[in-house]
Amino acid sequence: MKYSYYPGCASHGTAVDYRSSVEAVFSRLGIGLEEVKNWNCCGALHVPDRTVKTALSARTLASAKGLDMATPCNLCYSNLMRARTELQDSTLRTRVNEALTEKYDGNTKPKHLLEVIVKDLGLPKLQEQVKKPLKIRAVPYYGCLLTRPENNFDSTENPRSLDDLILSLGAVPVKYYYKTKCCGGPILITNEDLALNLAKELLVMAKESGADCIVVTCPMCHLQLDAKQKEVESKYDIKIDLPVIYFTQLIGLAMGLDPKNLGLSQHLVPTDKLITKIGGK
Amino acid sequence: MKKESILPESRDTAFRDQVLKTHVGEKILTCMQCGTCAGSCPVSHEMDYTPRQLVRMVQLGLKKEVLSSNTIWICTTCFSCSVRCPRGIHPTELMEALKPIAVAEGITNKNAKFDNIFSNIIKNSGRASEFLLISRYSLAEPGMIKQLPFGLSMMTKGKLPLSIDRMENTGELEAIFKLGEPKKEINGIKEKETGKEKEPEPAKTEENKTAEAETKK
Repeated sequence: MKYSYYPGCASHGTAVDYRSSVEAVFSRLGIGLEEVKNWNCCGALHVPDRTVKTALSARTLASAKGLDMATPCNLCYSNLMRARTELQDSTLRTRVNEALTEKYDGNTKPKHLLEVIVKDLGLPKLQEQVKKPLKIRAVPYYGCLLTRPENNFDSTENPRSLDDLILSLGAVPVKYYYKTKCCGGPILITNEDLALNLAKELLVMAKESGADCIVVTCPMCHLQLDAKQKEVESKYDIKIDLPVIYFTQLIGLAMGLDPKNLGLSQHLVPTDKLITKIGGK
Repeated sequence: MKKESILPESRDTAFRDQVLKTHVGEKILTCMQCGTCAGSCPVSHEMDYTPRQLVRMVQLGLKKEVLSSNTIWICTTCFSCSVRCPRGIHPTELMEALKPIAVAEGITNKNAKFDNIFSNIIKNSGRASEFLLISRYSLAEPGMIKQLPFGLSMMTKGKLPLSIDRMENTGELEAIFKLGEPKKEINGIKEKETGKEKEPEPAKTEENKTAEAETKK
């Protein structure tokens, strides 16, 4: 199995921990990720011009060289998917292609890394690699852009893929009614109070479920729920202290990989207790 | 609550037509005001007007109210409304389409500032370096100083590198960003970008008229 790999900007900054775990886990699974050379930002949610944004994704998609394109980020995934749909319009495609050296031909399929594992590799194959079944309860949090506005592989209203993945690692996915509710990430910098309020709702509900951790698939969600958790606690005078881990880190732990190589020491909410509970180092 | 009547003179049909011509405009007139979008929106309680109200206001051509509301700027772009709308109106995309119109009309706020800074960074280096983004935005919005301890804690964890992440070859970016440049273009896809001579297409003439009507106001 081999994919063209689009890491996205966060993997060089706030999500370096995610990046480490992706590299460790995918190489153990024998899934090749060939990083797109000279890749560019997808425009996230902040490049206002629609054509420019579509062209940014088109440029990335055009460089996939016949492989499916895998990405770890919900925002990147959503933008690639949207661009692909928009570029079905041949007028727009012609116009965008005029700006590109390598032309977009519509053949590249964008995939989120979760999809690669759940659908392409398959959970039974993943289970073969589980050395240490995780005896924990985990919140499956999908966020907005993994399933919306369009996706290849799961339900928009009630996705199951992450629940199934957690289950296959020996852990229990708790019932979580906010699993696709927005974390507030996109307005964190500009409308902090409102963003923290959204994060608080998610964190309180997760805490009440009695879970040992929240599992995420997106750098933006991780930033909101992990890095901003302390601020939520002090702003609302509540105690959460709930580790937030990437799904690739969860897989790595179940494979018995060293937590350090999975970037778990780089979180702002300490993960030691969780790791001890799992029986890791 | 006191009901305000909408006077005919406060309705701007040129604005309405401008929005209807965007890529999301086609279905806006089919809105039946069911409120699914407002009910699905995680931030509607903080909005001046809910997405449902905003769609109605666009139908009525309430230009000033639409463009100066906080609604289009605090939308988190989560697409809950868009995937649930029974009429396929895509309010999220409507918000996206309204932003450039608001900016062109001279609306400035911190969200527009942030988008502008973000865009410029991508235009110049091809990638979004979080440190660069935050520091530039902090210079524009002094209130950001209180985020300093947070930034430091991220740095301690090695998650906010000071080095600027850039593409090795940013050559194509100029051409990509040119696609968005022409003044008349509001998410339109019909026209070529060279821009000097305009073909006398009927659609375009109408659009020009709209633009003229706008500037006269």
